[in-house]
Amino acid sequence: MHQRITRVAALGGLAALTLSLTACGPTIGDSDSTADPSKLQAPTEASPSGEITIWDREGDLFEVFDEAIAAFNEKYPDIVVHHEAVDIAAKLQNTLITGSDVPDGVFLDDQLVAGYADHLWDLSDVLAPYADDIAPQKLDVNSQDGGIYGVPFDLDPGLLFYNETALESAGIDAESIETYDDLLEAARAYKEAVPDAGPIHLEQSPFLGQLQLEMYASQLGTAITDADGELRLDSPEYEQILTFLDTVSTEGLGTRAEYLSPTDIETLDAGKQVFYPWALWFDFAPQQLLEDTSGDWRAMPLPAWTDGGARSGAMGGSSFIIPKDGENSELAWLFYEFLMFDEAGYSAVWGPNSVYPEGLNTSIPSYAPAADPSTPLFQPVDAFGGQDLWAIATEAGAEIPGGVPTPSWWAGAVDYLGNNIQLMLDGSLTPEEVIDNSTADIQANLIDRQ
Amino acid sequence: MTTTSLPRPARPRRRGAGLPITRRLAPYVFVAPFVALFLAFGIYPMLFTLRLSFTNWHGAGSAEWVGWDNYTYLLTSPAFWNSLANSAVLWLLIIPVQLVIALAAAILLDNAKLRMRGFYRTAFIVPFVTPLVAVAQIWVVLFDQNYGAVNAVLGALGLPDIAWLTSSEWAKPTLALLFIWKTTGFIVVILLSGLQSIDSTVYEAAELDGAGRLRRIWSITVPLIRRTLMFAIVLQTLAVFQMFAEPFVVTQGGPYSSTTTAGLYLYNHITRGDLGTGAANSFLLVILVMALSLGMVRLLRAKD
Repeated sequence: MHQRITRVAALGGLAALTLSLTACGPTIGDSDSTADPSKLQAPTEASPSGEITIWDREGDLFEVFDEAIAAFNEKYPDIVVHHEAVDIAAKLQNTLITGSDVPDGVFLDDQLVAGYADHLWDLSDVLAPYADDIAPQKLDVNSQDGGIYGVPFDLDPGLLFYNETALESAGIDAESIETYDDLLEAARAYKEAVPDAGPIHLEQSPFLGQLQLEMYASQLGTAITDADGELRLDSPEYEQILTFLDTVSTEGLGTRAEYLSPTDIETLDAGKQVFYPWALWFDFAPQQLLEDTSGDWRAMPLPAWTDGGARSGAMGGSSFIIPKDGENSELAWLFYEFLMFDEAGYSAVWGPNSVYPEGLNTSIPSYAPAADPSTPLFQPVDAFGGQDLWAIATEAGAEIPGGVPTPSWWAGAVDYLGNNIQLMLDGSLTPEEVIDNSTADIQANLIDRQ
Repeated sequence: MTTTSLPRPARPRRRGAGLPITRRLAPYVFVAPFVALFLAFGIYPMLFTLRLSFTNWHGAGSAEWVGWDNYTYLLTSPAFWNSLANSAVLWLLIIPVQLVIALAAAILLDNAKLRMRGFYRTAFIVPFVTPLVAVAQIWVVLFDQNYGAVNAVLGALGLPDIAWLTSSEWAKPTLALLFIWKTTGFIVVILLSGLQSIDSTVYEAAELDGAGRLRRIWSITVPLIRRTLMFAIVLQTLAVFQMFAEPFVVTQGGPYSSTTTAGLYLYNHITRGDLGTGAANSFLLVILVMALSLGMVRLLRAKD
């Protein structure tokens, strides 16, 4: 009898201990689901104080933001910033779900923001004073059900990068390219002069290929879904883009390679690949990777799909999110407000610093007063023959049409749309089949399962 | 008539009876920390995941009970079966080749007469401790179709280029090669421990009986380290079916999902926030891996 009591007591103790430990676990369908999605408000104190934890990706941008903290502290000396380099893709989801050790602010790819919206502050109110000056496309991709969930960071306008020296030696004037038909003609002419060339870059990574497709679509004012989340791949715009890519492929006018893979770099440096329609961040390659052709490259706005059409579209980009479970969300807002909307802040980010002595030239601000073509934050780039990339990028950025919220399943669509684009470039699918197959698969496997 | 009554056997004294309660509680107190942690971090997450697998929870908001929907979706999804098929093909490409290489290397390294044995042992284990991300970058450069060193060698031999990482046919063998290169050192260590438990007189007797080198390996070494071999196979089977990092960093599951392993497919559900389907997928994978492991253990016992 005594033994039974002892066992029961021991098990009871264990159960209590276990329950107390498991209380740390996440709760499915907790009260947050019914709570109003409250909007973040800016702090009202004259001299706010406290500590904030900010997560950034490891790499050059971490170093840039790290340096900018000093400028922030000049304005807000009583706010201590704990800046941490974190594998955000691996840690953010679990952290938000469990609600433990949640950072006050996180740097995040635009296409991921909508997926986390339930955990984030709606920033509509704090962004309201700046909204009119923020690139519409950036506000749109950060929006979900009427709320805005990210402080827009950069704008990544698509540009047409071209090897001016190689084109000139083939007798081609790149500046005369105004439409994609012009681009095809120029590529045909170059191919005739350099038969083993594949003048136009065709992206082989399904993910980046889909991102590039969305850049072209953005240029045409469309996207994979409409504002209501309905698929709209089956449209004349996507058919036009895919037909263009298919033409480049079937006529042998493209070099198919993954972005900056060995094949990509070698063919760029050998003058076999001379047109690269990509976001501004491609400018990193002539500056850092291309040895033989650095200095030969130039950039211009993307060709238009139709005469007089927009000359740029957005490709990628990032924003800052502020989780609801952070301890000092209001102070995190002050940090991001300073970096993005205060001249001292955005000058510290894009202007010359120890990481980028001539300024951060792989993106431009999405806030219009910071992206003034006549007031450059970064200097002309030697690898582009001293070309004023700032003016070209900011003018192109101003042409990007508004967009729609990026669906939370966007990355998942790569298994269908991204792969099908590659199958088309293989010659296994037609543009129409890419549209039909991708539409059916995305609807069944992603949208219907949300 | 007299009756004799047999003495009743003494009731066995219950263990611990009569001991003070503190002494009787002591064993439970000692195991309590482990049991509590196991329940909290082993059993509870498993039960939580099981519950999750019957919902459509996406990481926030309310979770709707969807019954078997996640399981039926997966079991009727070509992508799910494709991921299992990819893992099965990788298993076939990896395990037999790796065992042969590891066994040969272990036998060589077990030879006391081998010069620079320490160097070779270190050389075998270095890939295992090298960070995968660094190895993956080297792999991408080595196996680039147009400018990679591997195709350069093939070209010098008059052989055609191979799209190692960009064709569905060759991506799996390339990934298998990476896995073999990276983990064979670990298997060599395991097999070495098995080899060192074999009494050298057995080999001497066989040699006196005229058994050659290969005969001794086949008839003595392999049977005597069979349990170690099976242990290695079970370990690597688990590793192959949970393989995630290699395809994630080298091919991202491509081209055309040809290297989307079971582990990577599961990861994709989780990162897309489809936690219910991810949980169901993990349970299906657990069942499969357990069945495979049990099958191999039974096979091992049957041979005993």
